[in-house]
Amino acid sequence: MLVKLVMELEDIPGQLLRALEPIARYGGNIQSIIHQREHKTPLGRVPVTLIFEIEDQSRLKRVLNALKSRNVLVTQVGEEVYTVKQTVILLGHIVHADIRTLVDRINSITGTRVMDLSLAMGGPRKESAARLTILSDSDRHARKAISWLSEFCKQKDLLLITSVGGPP
Amino acid sequence: MRLLIIGFGNLGRGLVESLAEKKSFLYRRFGLKPRVVGVVDDSGAATNNKGLDWRLLVKKAYQKAKVSAFPNYKRISAVEAIESVECEIVFELTPTNIQTGEPGLTHIKKAMKAGRHVITSNKGPLVVAFRELEHLAKKQGVEFRYSASVGGAIPVIELARKLLAGNEVLEIQGVLNGTTNYILSRMAEEGAPFDQVLREAQELGIAEKDPTLDIEGIDTAAKLVILSNAILGRDVKFKDVRRTGIARITPQAIKLAKETGNTIKLVGVATRQTVEVSPKLVPLGHPLAVGGTLNAVNFKLDLAREISITGFGAGPRETSSSLLGDLIDVCRTIA
Repeated sequence: MLVKLVMELEDIPGQLLRALEPIARYGGNIQSIIHQREHKTPLGRVPVTLIFEIEDQSRLKRVLNALKSRNVLVTQVGEEVYTVKQTVILLGHIVHADIRTLVDRINSITGTRVMDLSLAMGGPRKESAARLTILSDSDRHARKAISWLSEFCKQKDLLLITSVGGPP
Repeated sequence: MRLLIIGFGNLGRGLVESLAEKKSFLYRRFGLKPRVVGVVDDSGAATNNKGLDWRLLVKKAYQKAKVSAFPNYKRISAVEAIESVECEIVFELTPTNIQTGEPGLTHIKKAMKAGRHVITSNKGPLVVAFRELEHLAKKQGVEFRYSASVGGAIPVIELARKLLAGNEVLEIQGVLNGTTNYILSRMAEEGAPFDQVLREAQELGIAEKDPTLDIEGIDTAAKLVILSNAILGRDVKFKDVRRTGIARITPQAIKLAKETGNTIKLVGVATRQTVEVSPKLVPLGHPLAVGGTLNAVNFKLDLAREISITGFGAGPRETSSSLLGDLIDVCRTIA
């Protein structure tokens, strides 16, 4: 199962590592960390959103207990149900295209998240390749992500390669 | 059964050789006695209303000779031959022109109007005037077959229209071009760049000197138009196909695909709404993940769910399998 967890960490060195350690210990596989220093709470804490894969509820419970015993403040826990996984490849002058915008924009689509991004740089003046793994909670959101992506690629003159037999 | 063969290039010669080789088989199994009463190319026509001598035909085919090398050949055009030579079936095997469909389009129309059954491998007339030709055949009461136009030896159209007739075909996915499949397969195996593998394919005679039709997906698009019209019952034109070729594919892209258990293939996809040719990620182990110059087609169906078929998509001998299949089918239908 994929879990989304929001916690608030004190803004002192080592806090993030302290919070991540129990997840690794119970076999969790972290897929994204969003560290929002610019959105500090009134008490000066930094909100951190984690997405990680973990085997089952009992392991999640152990993770949460471990965080509690370390005085990590967890403000939100939720299981994310992503049923559609799509892999796409982008080809072109990708470094020039704003890859960060691309990921943020896909993540802003409801029920959709970029789980993995791999870049393979081409030689000088050669085109590069990027692979994105996109998770969605429904075919509709998966289609939305792909249709936004193909529009983006058209604008930036990137070649988008989708999977054969993608979402209907 | 008297046959007139228009076009004496690779496919015409391949057909002649297979007919000669299978003469006794065709008689034993189907009671068929085909006679080639004429072969025609742009140099002229060799005709004999009793049937040209098989040994002569095979010899000329083997020598890759023009028709003008036949004794007693006449300097007449294909249209004149169609109008003057008595026969039951015309094989239209001239090269494809997907812009005009010519000269094949004129040949097929003339033959139908003369009351001949027509079997063709030529994509051009089918891409340009599919519905018109189907209507004309119906109106003239003649049979019209074109299995060899898509998938070479693979009975793609027959499989869908006959054996899967009880299904609604929801989607057709196909690797329909051997040249691009060879290039992408080699790039995946060797990690070599596109230009280098293309040159290798040209040296091996797998790719043309001008590879545009293949690598830009034009050939695949033409085949997809035919499949959409013949199987999905649509009236699709070439310009309706969204098309992207393979020239931009890099070894890095294929490597990224591989890391997630995929490969990249040039795939044609047709549904009731869309017709598209583009490079696609294909999971290794998927029916379309075929190597070398192989072709593959995967049908999505309402009852059978999925049916796939793989085989050789080109080559004179392989394609003659489809031409012979059509010949036998026409003979059974009119018997």
